[in-house]
Amino acid sequence: MIFKKIFKYTSLAVILSVGTYLMWPVPEEGYVDPNADDSVSSTSTPANVKYNIRFVPGGYYYPGIVPAGIGLPNKGFYEVAAAYEKLHPDTKITFCDAMARREYLVTQLSASKAPDILNVNVEDVWPDVQKNWYAPLDDYLNNPNPYIPKGKPGSVQWWDMFKFQAISRGKLAPNGKMYCISYDMIETAIYYNKNIFKEVGVGIPKDWDEFEETMAKIRKAGYTPIQTVVGIYADWGIDLFLDQLYYNILPGIDLVKDPVREKYLQGYLDWDEVCFLFKKGFFTRHDKRYRELWKLIKRFRKFSNKDIATEDMIRGFVRGDAAMIWSSNLISYRFKADKDIDFDWDVFYLPKFTTNTSKYASGVPMCVIGGSGAQYEISNSAFSDTGDPKTSERLKRVVDFMQFITIPEQYRKVINERPLLVPNIKGVETLPLLKPFEEILKRRYTTTKWTYTFDLKFTDILSRMLLLYLDDYISLDEWIEWQEKNLESAYRRFTRKKHPDFDAMEKEWQRLAPVRKNYIDMPELPEGK
Amino acid sequence: MKNKQDKPFLSYKLRAALVCYSIIIIPVALLGLFTYLPVFWAFQKSFFEFEIGGVSRFVGLSHYIEYFTTDPTTYVSLANMAFFTFFAVVVRLSLPLIVAKLIISINSERWRHFYRILFLAPIVVPGVATMLIWGGMIYSSQGLINEFLRLVGLGSLTHAWLANPGTALIAVAMVGFPFIGGFEVLIYYAGLSGIPESVNEAALLEGCVGIRKFFLIDIPMVLSQLKLILILTVIAGIQGFEGLIILTGGGPGYRTTVPGLMMYFNAFSFQRFGYACAVGVFLFALIFTLTIINFKFFKSAEELQATK
Amino acid sequence: MKHKKNWTLHLAILAFAIPTLLPFYFVINNSFRSNTEMYHSFFGFPKTIKYIAVYSIKTLKGEKGTVVVRDEQKQTSQTLTYPKALKFYFDSATKNYKSAWKVLRPYFLNTFIVVLATAFGVLVFGSVTAYILSRFKFPGSKVVFYYFISTMMFPAVLTLVPSFLLVKELGLLNSRLALIIPAIAGGQVFAIFVFKSFFDGLPQDLFDSAKIDGAGHFSLYWNLILPLSKPVLSVVLIMNILGMWNSFLWPYIVNTDKKFHVIASGLFVLSQTEAAANFGLLYAAYITSSIPLLILFIYATKTFIQGMTSGAFKA
Repeated sequence: MIFKKIFKYTSLAVILSVGTYLMWPVPEEGYVDPNADDSVSSTSTPANVKYNIRFVPGGYYYPGIVPAGIGLPNKGFYEVAAAYEKLHPDTKITFCDAMARREYLVTQLSASKAPDILNVNVEDVWPDVQKNWYAPLDDYLNNPNPYIPKGKPGSVQWWDMFKFQAISRGKLAPNGKMYCISYDMIETAIYYNKNIFKEVGVGIPKDWDEFEETMAKIRKAGYTPIQTVVGIYADWGIDLFLDQLYYNILPGIDLVKDPVREKYLQGYLDWDEVCFLFKKGFFTRHDKRYRELWKLIKRFRKFSNKDIATEDMIRGFVRGDAAMIWSSNLISYRFKADKDIDFDWDVFYLPKFTTNTSKYASGVPMCVIGGSGAQYEISNSAFSDTGDPKTSERLKRVVDFMQFITIPEQYRKVINERPLLVPNIKGVETLPLLKPFEEILKRRYTTTKWTYTFDLKFTDILSRMLLLYLDDYISLDEWIEWQEKNLESAYRRFTRKKHPDFDAMEKEWQRLAPVRKNYIDMPELPEGK
Repeated sequence: MKNKQDKPFLSYKLRAALVCYSIIIIPVALLGLFTYLPVFWAFQKSFFEFEIGGVSRFVGLSHYIEYFTTDPTTYVSLANMAFFTFFAVVVRLSLPLIVAKLIISINSERWRHFYRILFLAPIVVPGVATMLIWGGMIYSSQGLINEFLRLVGLGSLTHAWLANPGTALIAVAMVGFPFIGGFEVLIYYAGLSGIPESVNEAALLEGCVGIRKFFLIDIPMVLSQLKLILILTVIAGIQGFEGLIILTGGGPGYRTTVPGLMMYFNAFSFQRFGYACAVGVFLFALIFTLTIINFKFFKSAEELQATK
Repeated sequence: MKHKKNWTLHLAILAFAIPTLLPFYFVINNSFRSNTEMYHSFFGFPKTIKYIAVYSIKTLKGEKGTVVVRDEQKQTSQTLTYPKALKFYFDSATKNYKSAWKVLRPYFLNTFIVVLATAFGVLVFGSVTAYILSRFKFPGSKVVFYYFISTMMFPAVLTLVPSFLLVKELGLLNSRLALIIPAIAGGQVFAIFVFKSFFDGLPQDLFDSAKIDGAGHFSLYWNLILPLSKPVLSVVLIMNILGMWNSFLWPYIVNTDKKFHVIASGLFVLSQTEAAANFGLLYAAYITSSIPLLILFIYATKTFIQGMTSGAFKA
């Protein structure tokens, strides 16, 4: 008995001491604790630093890391920061990691503790603009960039430096202000396997009917015609298809014309208008174009890989099992580096619908849906000295740095370190691999943006349920019912929060009635609604 | 000492009371701040729409109306919750009881002890790890089930069990198979060992043995344990959603979403804290009502038993 | 006859026990293996363990010789003597555990701090409050008791969101306090309930005789009550540790900063990010995170069983 007790306590003591030894916080040799500090500095801190600018460059540009695991570590922003610090010895640039979750960022912002320059989708910023968490950039964008010599783009207005004006200006917040700069561009395209195309005897399709024929032929030959994932349909498919089917009637339903944006974004339907149109029966079961849209998307999906929910879509294309893949320019870089790809590939853009595809087709070329990989916003930390963006000296310096990173000589060091993203600054050449995407980006920009712009909950329901519809777990009617309810909920939240000017829109709606007379199949609400 | 005795009794009592108050004030205040205030806020904030750092707006019953009318996820998630809860009640009331009965039927005390510990042992694995094991090892494409199917030549039956809209609901319900929780086994075991020896002997004398005895004697005798597990399972079924965050995130679509999970998403993903509070209040009301019904219903059943 | 029947009983129980425990066997088994090894045969036995056995026998026997060893990761081969080969395979078998421990160590530390601080707070507040409520009749003592007990009625689902808002208002997000203080506030209720029913059951004579000996309330509490309530104390302690060890959602919500993850939230984050596809490492992490409770379980099996049975009243 006594031995049992002795054993019990000795063993306990041994376990405890081993445990303590293991837990003892001694950093091991050669092991850098990735949790210890979430920021790296480009240089050591000199004593006379007045402005420590904390900057989140994002995963593509974060110095020291290797994007996509290909090539040498990034160093572009190290060089840019060093050049800036040399120019302004009282300023230090610290690079910070991206925020893990939105709540974390929100918490930081509400305490003015976030990094000065953030990199988040600007749509995520919009719900919070009235909280004075972000600095509006209009005053700076409308004025010269001080680093630009006379006569070059940017010497009159910072704005003019951006190559893709429509997309960049499309990021205007609902309150009409600009909170981000679109640092670069990402565009989508269809990648195709030239060998399979040759084997099957097809070429680049000129219109959607030909595209579908091509895919049918490819499937007959035993290949998967196209690789996609469900997110693509929710993010890109809806907007592109909607534009094809509604383009003809836009003059009769585009009710609000933003004086600044209209120049770049003709007929763009923002959420005020979508809400108003929804109440007129658009985007409901009474809207025949809307039903057509979802039918066409489903028809397209049927040419795609079986599992669009979990499968790694790139794999099928790389292994030569699939003839095409719908993706963005980001994977060009990966394909180029992949020595095991034993076929030739190229890209083309989605072809237009014809009246044969749908009687609502307008016949205009497919528009683009591009966006930025990095959108930089300035947070309230930047004007924490006075708390007011108008009077803050610190903010001026942060903006100055932001202007510095967009001047071509500096910008080039970052963007063209590898052919990953398309430059959005005039005077900076696009690397050869990305040239096709630059061409595609010259197309007309989309007229709606359904996901990520409106309401987080709306987006969640849309993208989750779309999968069930596309994979035949719910019928078209059920799907439209889900979307109707979803839009109704979102509409109520939106109007409660923003109080859109429906009266003005109603007036415009009445005024445009004669225009709409010629349109077929306008949604008709049942009596009493 | 002397001073104290000179003082009137009441004053001593008062002083003692004051000392009591001054000690108790800390736990009382803690509880007030961290339990009663949140409870109050849950009700209050369900009538407001606000975001962190933003202004809050009184919206009356809008959130409740939205929940029951336009929110398309409500009825799907309620149906899922009902299914999960019903399933859990069925398996947790039956299988552990059978195991407890099997264990108690063994003659050797050492074996009985061993088996109880054996079934209790998995509680040392953190709940999160258990869920991750189910999601990542058992159900995944290269997981236990699929590899087993491939091994026995049924490779065509393999599924992405949790990602497939057709199988996800069942797959989530089956997590924890064969549902022998050490806790339930211990409770039933305690109930079964509480049956008086006289009852057992009388049953034996009347030839009531085996399965017949299990249904006629054992089950009625452990009714209060069954009731306890029933309440616990129902409550856990209504408010449990942690596992779903880990397993499926409520997907695919909303095939495995429950109201608690929607509350979580509304608060922490969609930044709709007021709405989330409204969902929380609804779930509280549901739990509260069911607990009372449960009490009433089973009390009468027990009384019925007593009069038999 | 009876003996025979016992065998069928054992078989029937094992029919339930094996599927219950089988997943854990595969977790342990595969925690010693690399992804590639797992892909080729999920059910196989870890090669490294096999080689460790082979070469330790050879080393112990004192056999001399060399063997060609292949490093799968570096895609290289090298010729090693038996003891060296043994070391090589030992290293590759424990590789997953080593990398898991690197990630988990700070989480372990956080968990220990949080669990111990909470348990201490709950025991102190719980026992002292219960002692006062049980032994003193003062105006409002009943009210205070019901004030505590009625909070058992509020489910976690009701208070989760507002509690988060409260902790945010108090500026406690991303700190260990955000885990400790609310846990003490909530955990003391069950402790008060258990302690009070225990104290109520103690005979009054005990206190009277102690008072005659001239003991003050503090010494009475310290020297008499606490030693007496050791069984209850350990039950409350174990239930608390178990609860805190398993609590995932709250730490996951309030502490988004990696520095403050506890094991439960850390495991989930780990499985979502760094190690998402490195199954061996994940499995090793699951095993590692179970070890402290396993030790506790071995040393306090009885208390676990008592705690589980009495924990039922928590509802």
